Amino acid sequence: MKKSLLYLALIGLLACNPGGYHLASRKANRIGVDSLSASTDSSVARFLQPYREKLDKTMNEVLAQSTGPIDKGLPDAPLNDILTDAMLKQATQRYGKPIDCSHLNYGGIRTNLPKGNITIGSIFEVMPFDNQLVVLTVTGDMLQKMLNHFVQGSGLVVGGIRAKIHDKQVQAVTFTNGRTLQPNENYTVLMSDYVANGGDDAGFLKNPVKREDLNYLVRDVLIDYFRQQGKSGQPINPTSDGRISIE
Amino acid sequence: MDVSASNRRQFLKLFGTAAVIGSVAPDVLAHSGRSIGRKTTSLTILHTNDVHSRLDPFPMDGSRNAGKGGVARRATLIRKIRQEQANVLLFDAGDIFQGTPYFNLYKGEPEILAMNQLGYDAGTIGNHDFDGGLDNMVTQFGKASFPILIANYDFKNTAMDGRSKPYKVFYKDGIRVGVFGLGIKPEGLIPRSAYLETKYLDPVEIANNTATQLRAKEKCDYVICLSHLGFKYNDSTVSDNVLAAQTRNIDLIIGGHTHTFLDAPVAINNRDGQPVWINQVGFAGINLGRIDLTFEPGKAVYSSGKSVEVS
Repeated sequence: MKKSLLYLALIGLLACNPGGYHLASRKANRIGVDSLSASTDSSVARFLQPYREKLDKTMNEVLAQSTGPIDKGLPDAPLNDILTDAMLKQATQRYGKPIDCSHLNYGGIRTNLPKGNITIGSIFEVMPFDNQLVVLTVTGDMLQKMLNHFVQGSGLVVGGIRAKIHDKQVQAVTFTNGRTLQPNENYTVLMSDYVANGGDDAGFLKNPVKREDLNYLVRDVLIDYFRQQGKSGQPINPTSDGRISIE
Repeated sequence: MDVSASNRRQFLKLFGTAAVIGSVAPDVLAHSGRSIGRKTTSLTILHTNDVHSRLDPFPMDGSRNAGKGGVARRATLIRKIRQEQANVLLFDAGDIFQGTPYFNLYKGEPEILAMNQLGYDAGTIGNHDFDGGLDNMVTQFGKASFPILIANYDFKNTAMDGRSKPYKVFYKDGIRVGVFGLGIKPEGLIPRSAYLETKYLDPVEIANNTATQLRAKEKCDYVICLSHLGFKYNDSTVSDNVLAAQTRNIDLIIGGHTHTFLDAPVAINNRDGQPVWINQVGFAGINLGRIDLTFEPGKAVYSSGKSVEVS
């Protein structure tokens, strides 16, 4: 019985084959690649070395200076403000039209920026993910829902908006551009594709009025912004404007 | 840490019947009334997927994958296997690009040149390989000494037109190995500006046509699909599992996209009841997949719907 099972199994493995050969056996192995399984191939290492050296040099490029550490925090902090403002400024140039507000998921800001030299490497540490910028056009209703969702969830980080949090609800929303939040009006919101695709449990954002992909990495936006700041010759003075406050 | 022993255990557990077949093959072949004493040819397939610009090992920062991977170590492993085995083919299932600053700075050049050094025989296109846009794809793939195989993207009216092939047939010691590539649906996954007028064709239909052509017209003894469709989904989205079940004439699917760490290949019966192997080895070059095949001359005795897989 056992032998006939094996026989059937073998027949099953052999494909019907008009060619000159047929498969007689197959086995598989997953080989872990680490220092235990293999040494470094010197020829490939030599090939990589100039790429790595130039990469390190790139990562060490100083973009700007800061007079103090730029930290993230809730309900508001200097890093929250500078990142969302940078996004709004840079993306508006790319988009070619004004954008009402910007948003970052708090968990996506991976670390703080240091006092002193801010390098490309520092920006990679803050934003290692390859998230692209998206402009969502949403109704005031959906924007209100989104603001509440993040206040009640991982934390609200926005640019172009001032608001107060009362009892886990976002109230008294005003826009820097002078608009007010009306349920049936449309607003443009700049955010990462991660959130626009429903990340951070924001699945309700998958049905906006309109979605436009900018094909511009959030990280590249920040690098471009900090480089411009550095060229101005003025160091960054980390401050928070208290755009989000708790009542 | 004995990785190979643990893999062997997994393998035996999942494929107890299949695993011992090598040892009973001569007995079985006697039933076909031929092939006794004829030459056996071996072929080793090596594969990676979703390497994502991870040229250096993960940094030693205490995180889960610290110290793993690295293209220079992979080179050593591959060179050693080539020294031991006469017939080796090396494939990649897409998402060569994006994931480390190397890609941001060099747009994919060192990834492709390193693959040349490692002697890759073919690769397919992953969604992130579009990240630098179609023009960059032309530039970087133009540096490859191996073909880019993709059967279900129609690049007409794009810069990539004529820069890829649907399939390639490899000849190894008399064995004809047909290899073709399949890509994932770009819409909703890749920015439109990065894929432009690239047309996505139904992977199941294309796979059936291509695999049949490889088997019948190109007389291939073994047919491999390099797929960036993803291993399996909860909904009806086409995946490697769906592809295997709905096609004929594919022997092996080397998968990618979902970064799935399979301990051993998974067997799915195809439309003829034949068990197709699907394999995928995680991401970032943490693993190298290895599949050792042996072939005997002559046709196999064929019996449909009688496959036995032990789970």
